[in-house]
Amino acid sequence: MSGRLGIGLLLTALLLAGCWWALGQVHTGPVGAPFWLVICVLLVVAWFAMDRLASISGWSRLVPIMFGAWLLFLWEVAVIGFQVPRVLLPAPSAIGSVFVASLDMLRADFVQTFVRAVIPGWVMGCGSGFLVALLIDRSPFLQRGLLPIGNLVSALPIIGVAPIMVMWFGFDWQSKAAVVVIMTFFPMLVNTTAGLTQTSAIERDLMHSYAASYWQTLLALRLPAAMPFIFNGLKINATLALIGALVAEFFGTPIVGMGFRISTEVGRMNLDLVWATIAVAALAGSLSYALLAAIERMVTFWHPSYRRQR
Amino acid sequence: MMRNLALALVAVTGLTAASAAEAADQLTLQLKWVTQGQFAGYYVAKDKGFYEEVDLDVEIKPGGPDIAPPQVIAGGGADVIVEWMPAALASREKGVPLVNIAQVFEKSGMMLTCRKDSGIVDPKTDFPGRTLGVWFYGNEYPFLSWMATLGIPTEGGPDGVTVLKQGFNVDPLLQRQADCISTMTYNEYGQVLDAGIKEEDLTVFKYEDQGVATLEDGLYTTEENLADPEMADKLARFVKASIKGWEYAAANPDEAAEIVLENDATGAQTEAHQQRMVREIAKLIGSGGEKGIGYLDPADYERTVKVLLSGGSDPVISKEPTGAWTHDIFEAAQN
Repeated sequence: MSGRLGIGLLLTALLLAGCWWALGQVHTGPVGAPFWLVICVLLVVAWFAMDRLASISGWSRLVPIMFGAWLLFLWEVAVIGFQVPRVLLPAPSAIGSVFVASLDMLRADFVQTFVRAVIPGWVMGCGSGFLVALLIDRSPFLQRGLLPIGNLVSALPIIGVAPIMVMWFGFDWQSKAAVVVIMTFFPMLVNTTAGLTQTSAIERDLMHSYAASYWQTLLALRLPAAMPFIFNGLKINATLALIGALVAEFFGTPIVGMGFRISTEVGRMNLDLVWATIAVAALAGSLSYALLAAIERMVTFWHPSYRRQR
Repeated sequence: MMRNLALALVAVTGLTAASAAEAADQLTLQLKWVTQGQFAGYYVAKDKGFYEEVDLDVEIKPGGPDIAPPQVIAGGGADVIVEWMPAALASREKGVPLVNIAQVFEKSGMMLTCRKDSGIVDPKTDFPGRTLGVWFYGNEYPFLSWMATLGIPTEGGPDGVTVLKQGFNVDPLLQRQADCISTMTYNEYGQVLDAGIKEEDLTVFKYEDQGVATLEDGLYTTEENLADPEMADKLARFVKASIKGWEYAAANPDEAAEIVLENDATGAQTEAHQQRMVREIAKLIGSGGEKGIGYLDPADYERTVKVLLSGGSDPVISKEPTGAWTHDIFEAAQN
């Protein structure tokens, strides 16, 4: 075991040194065929280093970070080594420096798009989807009538809906939140409806034999059983909401926001700033997903998929 | 034996000569926007066989909201592009060495259109406190430069103007979400009229009249292409035939509109709209002065650069470009 760790660490050190050297080479001047040969060798070294570390518990957590860093390294070396124009693909280092230099602007964009449009839209969309699912659950007539309409709404193309929402709710974040509501409502509705059917007849009969009311059964039995489905909807919607808000900003906005920044800076050929904004969006999306996953774990600790890990 | 060889040789040379006569030189043009009257000259030149006359096989690629011609040419997807000068110069500074080889539009078609009942008469005194719709995607610089000249901040508030990023329609004006919106003489202005607002109910401010107009549709290629004599020759023939196409389109707007419609694969354009567009475009192309259509007037170039350098706090280009235009191709096309 310790031998494998030793080899893994040795390879990693070798890899780091090689990458360091390659970055220095590529940034100082044009590179030739021998340089790319070294990169190929590094590729093999990286493969074995990560392979070794991945099989050792405790160190395997390092692998995703290493893999990500390795991809960034390849990106940097390829873009600079092959002299790819900045308007096609900027190097990660250029994106990083623009990111740091425009923190204030990125923050303002984040607040406009994420805090003002995505979060309220997500809360309203998921909330209404949940409530309508409860209504549908109580009434067969609504089940027949509302589900198909919800289905229809979810099928509306966002590029058709967004300009209409701008027309109705104006240019500011309200229209973006409205698009998010439309996009998130149906996944929530369907997931909650499916979740509410998860209990078996024997469990419901038991509640009935306790003389539990509809609401008591709902709260004590059916909603907890529906939780995995509800969280599924919430997680799907976390990513959908961000996409919806970003795309909606392409159809008219005040001059702030992540979607505005992306569409504007593409026109100005500031692709490094576009990538910096994309990085913010990716971070925000993954963090909210991770947060929801963590809450889900706490709420559905009883679920079989988590039980064995405890 | 010798005779057979000679015969075979003759046959081979004869074959290659024949195929050379058939296969015209390939050239790809990337447009800035979707197929519409704005590009009538190129479609006319293709349809009327003007490109064939100069031994060219031109492929015309329509653009759209998600297509940036400089990116297409940088990626090798086109040999020549139609682009506005602000975007072309910005790309040049960012590492795509675009060079203007012909300036098709003499005048800018951009203007700010306001409802008369909004009470806006004089931009300097009446704009503060208003909401104005502006196109971005690199088209905002003339506006920012205009506001900088007037000394009006663009961050909102009672002394400044609130800027909205306008989509590709005229709804903000119709719905009174903005006091003024950006329009092109050949496109959106007509949409405002079509929506039922009369010309006398509108106040328009042409960028051309405000001294902040930048050069719009021009033909651009890369320095690399220009360095290749064969390519330079192809481009000169292309410019020659394209100018002929534009002259024909300006003289026969209805026929040109018809040709555009035939080439519109999306079927989204209507006849009346395209006829009006071609007529308005013809006004922007002008006569090109004594040099003819396509001649880039260095004074117009200088003005565009000045506008771009003075675009408020975040100018589109940070330094004066060098070598961003050439008359070589245009002059070669005259012969």
